[in-house]
Amino acid sequence: MNKNLTYLAVAVISCLGLAACEKTTVAVLEPLKNDLLKKTTGPAVIGTRVEFAYAIGANDGTVQNVKAEASVAGATGTGFSGFSWYTDRATGVDKPLQTATDTVTNGMVSTAKILDVSNKAVTLRYYYNVPEAARGQLVTFKFSGTSSAGKEVTFTSPGYQISKMDMTRSIVLEDGKKAYFSIADMKAYTKEEVEQGNLSGKIDFVYIYRPTISTYTFGHAMVSLANKSYINDLNLPAAWTKAATRLDKRVDIRDAQLRGSGFDSYIDDIDLEKTTFTNAADYAYGLTADQGAFVTSADGTYVAYLFVNAVNNTAKTMTVSLKRLKVK
Amino acid sequence: MKKGIFYIVFAIAGLLVFGGCTKEPVDDAGLLVTGRSQCYMSFFDLLGSDHRTVLVSGSMQIDTVAQTVTAVARFGTNMTRVKPYSSVVTDATVEPRMGEWVDFSQPMQYTVVSGNRKVRKTYTITVTVQK
Repeated sequence: MNKNLTYLAVAVISCLGLAACEKTTVAVLEPLKNDLLKKTTGPAVIGTRVEFAYAIGANDGTVQNVKAEASVAGATGTGFSGFSWYTDRATGVDKPLQTATDTVTNGMVSTAKILDVSNKAVTLRYYYNVPEAARGQLVTFKFSGTSSAGKEVTFTSPGYQISKMDMTRSIVLEDGKKAYFSIADMKAYTKEEVEQGNLSGKIDFVYIYRPTISTYTFGHAMVSLANKSYINDLNLPAAWTKAATRLDKRVDIRDAQLRGSGFDSYIDDIDLEKTTFTNAADYAYGLTADQGAFVTSADGTYVAYLFVNAVNNTAKTMTVSLKRLKVK
Repeated sequence: MKKGIFYIVFAIAGLLVFGGCTKEPVDDAGLLVTGRSQCYMSFFDLLGSDHRTVLVSGSMQIDTVAQTVTAVARFGTNMTRVKPYSSVVTDATVEPRMGEWVDFSQPMQYTVVSGNRKVRKTYTITVTVQK
């Protein structure tokens, strides 16, 4: 019995001894470190802004300058912000604090000088305003910073795909007035403007508001000029081109960019590329806020998603935003 | 005595092992074929492109004797692009498969097949649009 206890004790001590011999690594403090976070989650559409948070901290000396270099020069407004953000513990509200100055963008390169008050570690916002020149391309960003100790660090981002789509927001359609919509132009015309400008060939649908048709609820609708059921009362000129646009209503796509807020859900290039319109109707009716429709022009040149921001039964208006992709 | 108990335990274990390996029959779609012979449709719905029902509430009627389904779709429904769904008795299947975009502007026929796959009943589904 005593022998067994001895063996057991030896085994336990051996285990403890082996565990104690595990190699532990002690992090060596780097003199200057940096990291990058891309805050924008939606597609990078021309005219929108992509937000990055670039963090840099020094163990040796102080942070002095930061630099960002985009592979394609951003549009006006691209560059570092001079402010960092912190959350006010009393209110929970994010508040800005100036931590940098001399924020300058020259072509592809943006720079900023870190203020003395925050020179050990700082997180700065960098905004990239997506330019037309980047459409459909992969854009990369090389961030770097220097310290007073003469050290430099860099962080190269992965490539971010720039969208091929166009986007326009908050177009007000008005029944009987600015109701004739062209996806190619991304704007609405009055009947007179269509007539005078001979634009009927580029009109994809007309907006109408009819509370009821034949005693049945109908509401706000987008109707192709080729439709023979719902726009007879518009008395369109016989000479007009009446293209058979296809529309496919949706009630569950709340694109955050078109909506302006609320949901991290987005229509991207691939959605417009892959959408099919087999047997789709030439109208979409009963539309209310937060609904929408995929639309393709009669000749298949464009595919778009029209999102309904708001409807007004009294004013007979519907406010829409759209993303459009040229597929032909 | 001990030997006898060992043989009995061994035999039971063998039966359990082989019993567990019995293969249940499945059909071509990989669905279980059971012993049920009941064969009828109990519910039908039709969805529009927005994945919402297009049927007028309370308009759907199923006659399991005549094997017909009738329903009324709301005014303005595009009947050329709708997606049918149904409920059937336990273990039964429907041919052709529902849940796909179809043109329902004319009456359509779907066959309910019983769980044992031996009873087949073809339903004619007619949906008219409010006018």
